[in-house]
Amino acid sequence: MHPLKKLLNSSEKYFTGSGKFNRLKPLFDATKTFLFFPSSKTRYTPFVRDSLDLKRFMSFVLISLLPVLIFGIYNTGFQAGIARGESYTFFQAFLLGSSYVLPIIIVSYAVGFFWEVLFAVIRKHKISEGFLVTGLLFPLTLPATIPLWQVAIGISFGVVIGKEVFGGTGRNFLNPALTGRAFLFFSYPVSMSGDVWMAVKNSVDGVSGATALSILAPEGEKITSALSDSGFSLSNLFLGFVPGSIGETSAFCCILGALFLIITKIANFRIIIGGIAGLIVTAIIFYLIPGGSDSWMNAGPLFHLCAGGFLFGISFMATDPVSAPGTNQGRWIFGFLIGFLTVTIRVANPAFVEGTMLAILFMNVFAPMLDHIVMKYTASKRIPNV
Amino acid sequence: MENIKISKGFKVALAGMPDLSVIQIPEPETIAVSALDIPYIRPKLLVKENDPVKTGTPLFCDKRNKCIHYVSPGTGIVKQIIFGQRRRLVEVVIALDKNRDKKDEFIQFETLSPDDIDTVPRSKITKLLQEGGLWQCFREFPSKDTADENHEPPMIIVSLNGNDPFSPHPQVVLENEISFFEFGIKVLKQFSNRIIVTSRQDNLSSLNRLNGLKEHITHIAPDFYPAWDPGVVLYKLKRTREENRSWCISAEHLVLMGKFLLTGRYPVKRVVTVTRSNDKKPHIITRQGAPVKDLVGSLDDNSLITTGRFNGRYVEPKSHMGFFESTLTIISDNQKEELFGFIKPGLTKPTASKTFLSCLTKTPKNLDCNIHGEERACINCGYCVNICPVDLMPNFIIKALLSDDIEDALNYGLLDCCECGLCSYACPSKIELTKLLSHGIDAHYKDKE
Ligand code: SF4
Ligand code: SF4
Repeated sequence: MHPLKKLLNSSEKYFTGSGKFNRLKPLFDATKTFLFFPSSKTRYTPFVRDSLDLKRFMSFVLISLLPVLIFGIYNTGFQAGIARGESYTFFQAFLLGSSYVLPIIIVSYAVGFFWEVLFAVIRKHKISEGFLVTGLLFPLTLPATIPLWQVAIGISFGVVIGKEVFGGTGRNFLNPALTGRAFLFFSYPVSMSGDVWMAVKNSVDGVSGATALSILAPEGEKITSALSDSGFSLSNLFLGFVPGSIGETSAFCCILGALFLIITKIANFRIIIGGIAGLIVTAIIFYLIPGGSDSWMNAGPLFHLCAGGFLFGISFMATDPVSAPGTNQGRWIFGFLIGFLTVTIRVANPAFVEGTMLAILFMNVFAPMLDHIVMKYTASKRIPNV
Repeated sequence: MENIKISKGFKVALAGMPDLSVIQIPEPETIAVSALDIPYIRPKLLVKENDPVKTGTPLFCDKRNKCIHYVSPGTGIVKQIIFGQRRRLVEVVIALDKNRDKKDEFIQFETLSPDDIDTVPRSKITKLLQEGGLWQCFREFPSKDTADENHEPPMIIVSLNGNDPFSPHPQVVLENEISFFEFGIKVLKQFSNRIIVTSRQDNLSSLNRLNGLKEHITHIAPDFYPAWDPGVVLYKLKRTREENRSWCISAEHLVLMGKFLLTGRYPVKRVVTVTRSNDKKPHIITRQGAPVKDLVGSLDDNSLITTGRFNGRYVEPKSHMGFFESTLTIISDNQKEELFGFIKPGLTKPTASKTFLSCLTKTPKNLDCNIHGEERACINCGYCVNICPVDLMPNFIIKALLSDDIEDALNYGLLDCCECGLCSYACPSKIELTKLLSHGIDAHYKDKE
């Protein structure tokens, strides 16, 4: 027997029945099943079950986040270097970035996990794996300079209000990570948006840390050239060497993650493709409308695609199966409308620089309705059998 | 022959396919008629313990229709009548009479002849089959209860393949029995104008050697479970509402029926398969109702013995094969717990998903009887939808059922569910979808009755 397994077996008695720590049973179970696959036998038909379980399912989302995470850490250090007027090697930048990013992730997991355990103990149910994903998704949507207490508040709000009050993973209709982020966005707009994104406290004068989405072109200039002038060339935006939230800057890394999720069929490709299609179509329509050449209206599909958190949101947030529709047609519409709303919000209301977040939350609310309509429609297509 | 287009199902190659060779095992000491695999029956016993019985003596009937008999598949004495919880009949066990030298004493029933079968009134055939213990071969959709004799089925689906991927091969089952099969088809024509005979794609070539069988096959189903299931076939073929009440029968039961009507004697020979992952066992010829332990031999304790890995029932070694059961699947218990098992590449792990490297290989996989996880709330991932052969959305249906909204569940197609078990198989949240669906179907059916 594995020594770890022995330890678990010998300590099990404290956590079960009338053991000293029996209230912490969910925590013990979670540790045990995290380390070792539980192996109970089937009791009902079918007597065989697939090897895939929720733990592996959620772990795959974490794997898909690795590129954005690693790049995000590096980019944080890189941007800090620019702000300080120094140039770092990759390794230095990565280390510096880690010193900003890791504490945020640790706080997010620790505080969120506390709530999960608390609710599991109160409700006497098992700790769901869904939090593994929320705990990492949430920090990746934050700017690296965010105060840690705000991280704690945000994740608490996301887990408790976004998920647990509805009954836990599977019963929530909003994406918990996004709920937390939206809460921070509206409560502490200063640290969430505008010009203080930079991962540096003693910022050198004159360096602006504006994000691409808050750029407006001066009179007579085109938005695209204004963007390029401020360092937001299309290639920079695509690769991600720009200031922004930790995980959201690199379109390329988001696409890598999205491809992984699509190939392993963890995420539904309909949402991602539908979303990108919606964004492109809407961006083209706005592009063709005369006027507004100095604003994001005229940025064209490629800038819309690569700037801001759209690709991150559509790949990792919108594809959260719990808060997305469960029908295929519903998923297409859901994705498409997120793309549409993202551009519309960006164009119509520059005060909300990040349209994706609101678009996804808004569509989360409508997902059950989309499903309902699709189910009614498909049911009417079946030969009735009642 | 028409191909039935089905795209969803279980496409993983499985290890343990039985061999086409055939062995005959010695006559068992006891045989039994099980009540557990007979749908919805409310049995009324017609014998007592220690009564002598002949082959064909009725042992019990169905209280709902007392004409439908369940008869003894051997000659001997009633050794034991076993009841389960709430005095539910489990089995009537018969000790075979050793002294008669393996010769059965038959109850002789009236015989029919192939030449004038089309002039025999339907009611007469019905009565013969009910008394002879073979009416139960007909099952009526959507609940798959024993067929209602007063209802004229819009179609009858004859399935050459059984409930499990490794059920007996039709070549073995029908060898030397083609004349009975053909007579059976004639009998079916007295009941319905539309007879559908389906076969699995890969069985076709080996069926060539059975003279005349191929002309009867009307539809070919693709070669993955459960494409050949009569429920799936019906779903693909039906065009009107009335067809929901079609009947189905398996080819082996049709042979029994033909044999019974031609000879007037209750046929007792059955072909069964016993399968196990790392084994390639021959088909076995035995008597109906043979003891499970005679068929499986000795076992290491932890394996499950079932009559079909996806949709059978769990059986004990000391119990006996049921009338509808022709395969025993021994599923081993893989007790090994792996450190960080959930993140290993998994080259040998069977899966319908795309999250193990094994999905890239075509080597046959071993399925074990572990759940591979713990039950969680539904995350709406749609894996159950993507595998359901009859295009249901099990996740939405169970949500309707759990909130007692039977209307919605029915509208979503609950009764099309053929209880194949694949949704539960695939669910990463390990929800007992099939169990919930079956309960829903049963509850609705009993309500209506
Ligand atoms: S709902 Fe489940 S059990 Fe029913 S047919 Fe579909 S996959 Fe099979
Ligand atoms: S497979 Fe399981 S978790 Fe996924 S949608 Fe179906 S019931 Fe829900």
